[in-house]
Amino acid sequence: MPHYPEGTVRALLETDLVTPATRAALEARLTAPTTYEPQFFDADTYRLLQAVAARIYPQPDRETPIALAPAVDARLLKGGADGWRYDSMPPDREAYRLGLGGINQAAEVRFQQPFVALDEARQDQIMELLAAAEAPGENWSQLPQDRFFEEMLAELTETYYAHPLAQEEIGYVGMADVPGWQRIGLNELEPREPEGTK
Amino acid sequence: MPDEETLEEGVLNPVQPEIQDPLLREILEENELQADPSRNPLEQPAPLPDPDEVVDCLVIGTGAGGAPLLARLARAGRRVVALEAGPRHDAKTEFATDEKAQNFLFWNDERLSAGKNPVAFGKNNSGIGYGGSTLHYTAYTPRAHRGDLTLHTEFGEGVDWPFGIEELEPYYEELEHFLGVSGPTPYPWDAGRRKGYPLAPLPLNGAAQLMERACAQLGIKTSPAANAALSARYYQEGVGWREACTNRGFCQAGCSTGAKASMDVTFLPLAEQYGAEIRTGAYVTEIERDARGHVTAVVYEQGGRTVRQRCRNLFLCAGAIETPRLLLLNELALNSGQVGKHFMAHVGMQVWGTFPEDVRPYKGIPGGLISEDTHRPKDADFVGGYLLQSIGVMPVTFATQMVRQRKLWGQPLRDYMRDYNHIAGINVLGDCLPHADNFLELSDEKDARGVAKPRVHFTAQENEQRMNRHAERIMRQIWEAAGAKDIWAFERYAHIIGTARMGTSANDAVVDPDGRAFDVPNLYICDNSVFPSALSVNPALTIMALSLRTADKFLENQQA
Repeated sequence: MPHYPEGTVRALLETDLVTPATRAALEARLTAPTTYEPQFFDADTYRLLQAVAARIYPQPDRETPIALAPAVDARLLKGGADGWRYDSMPPDREAYRLGLGGINQAAEVRFQQPFVALDEARQDQIMELLAAAEAPGENWSQLPQDRFFEEMLAELTETYYAHPLAQEEIGYVGMADVPGWQRIGLNELEPREPEGTK
Repeated sequence: MPDEETLEEGVLNPVQPEIQDPLLREILEENELQADPSRNPLEQPAPLPDPDEVVDCLVIGTGAGGAPLLARLARAGRRVVALEAGPRHDAKTEFATDEKAQNFLFWNDERLSAGKNPVAFGKNNSGIGYGGSTLHYTAYTPRAHRGDLTLHTEFGEGVDWPFGIEELEPYYEELEHFLGVSGPTPYPWDAGRRKGYPLAPLPLNGAAQLMERACAQLGIKTSPAANAALSARYYQEGVGWREACTNRGFCQAGCSTGAKASMDVTFLPLAEQYGAEIRTGAYVTEIERDARGHVTAVVYEQGGRTVRQRCRNLFLCAGAIETPRLLLLNELALNSGQVGKHFMAHVGMQVWGTFPEDVRPYKGIPGGLISEDTHRPKDADFVGGYLLQSIGVMPVTFATQMVRQRKLWGQPLRDYMRDYNHIAGINVLGDCLPHADNFLELSDEKDARGVAKPRVHFTAQENEQRMNRHAERIMRQIWEAAGAKDIWAFERYAHIIGTARMGTSANDAVVDPDGRAFDVPNLYICDNSVFPSALSVNPALTIMALSLRTADKFLENQQA
């Protein structure tokens, strides 16, 4: 699994290899405030969402992790949709309330503590149950656990990999496309494409 | 059941946006603000249309179904107006090379996906804006095969189209030359074509080269694919010169260079040059009729105003979800009982693998290489067939669908994604048989506009499952031969087809072979909803061909 040097995307954003529209989108994420006051979730539920997001995208390598919970909160507040919803799922706001509540219920059943009070190893045990659709908790009678996990995972993933730092992590520099790409075949790189090291 | 029973009896035009939920009201207000023409310098506030004017042809939708016929009808001197729900964009300055920032290209009003294989909408298949879904189509433009239109004759299952491929061929030729399709000549799976492609194929990217190499080992014939993106500078009638594709690989989130032949850089400017008027930000709510049942006017919301436009003929080109939804909401053309029925989605199985080579899947036209050896495989245990293609992919799209399938989380998820630059995919695009269990209905839930959300039921039936198994087996063989590790398959269904079927009898079809509604003589429907069968190829080129044909038939009928 390759590792890429840090700073690649950030350096490209300083150049005219990136269009103004592209730069605006990426810089907005880079410079987003590090503090966020939830407006849709109450404080406890928001902390729970942050804790769950931290198990799905653990970032011990970063001093300031890429924040994933604000985008969920902001979207639910706004009522934003992506064009579809599983018919077996309730509307998104209700799904998140029920699903996060269900995660807490699973933590209480297994460890007699709320999820945020558990250590990381125990939180991961709850996440494993959730990913296998085997988490206990009464909320799951109203919410298909596999679909909730899939939808939450997909939403957090979209936010994570849209972030310039995550794009640096995987060696993606497709945003630097002003001159186009001439070397597009196998093993063909242009100077602005970083090489991975094992 | 998905038909008129869900609507109140005796209400001719039942669409009354009623917003109970304060959240919905808020969103609606916000949408109206966004649709406010004064906020966008490109969107000059349109003067209110003359309330007495009756236009010859009113067209709803500016995608692959609406745009070509708009240009054709305008060229013939008709007074033509098109209504487009979304805005007009300046792709060169507005389109970011960023997947999340480009979400405005998709039809994001929520639809409910039911059945055993719920179909993803939004970015998977539905667009909004001047150009419709062509703003984010991959530009993959293979022609349908002769046999795709005669499945019932060939297999005794599915349905035949009411005409043969001869009806479409002249339009395919015209479109390939008008759009500037880049592709191989002669075409390996259809050597007898009268005309070749006007441009040489686009260059192959890493995924295409891997597939080419492996297929050669396995004895599967491949070729660079036909794509409606320019491999060289091309003169576009009504537009001027369009520049060659720069291989930025971003077709599915909007082409910012104009190299991709979406409708906004081809048919729509041509239509406007011929005098067509295109009103953007115009969301249609009602279709009015007279006592005889003829369409007389369309009511739409634009910039917070309710506008009514009278017309002599209506062309409904809103796609296979919004078209039947409008028909159901307005209780229009429902006599055959076929509106919303026989929803189809292409078998679209993908297989992904990790390679030692640097692939960099963000470069080059995504669908670089094709094989149609599987159009009628000798060992098939199913009806119809499919095509194989290599696929490039952008990171957010790849990551989100990967987690949906593999459910990776934690460190294994981040570790897997570190290999993004070494990942390549193949996918198939296969026929889907119409089935009574797959349909669209109106739900009781209302969307942010206050209109009933559509609920779409889709379950892959035995034939689709057999095709999936066959396709997955072949794609795994190819990727093993290419040297992939960690191969995994993603079962998916792409494109939305059916729901207002074309046929020869008013008893079992919504429109006749000319695209005219059996029940409503001045209503034409032209988009993927009229496809009687799904075809074994991507639908865009055939939708455009039908669009030109529908316009020609309309003009012929007018003269008769």
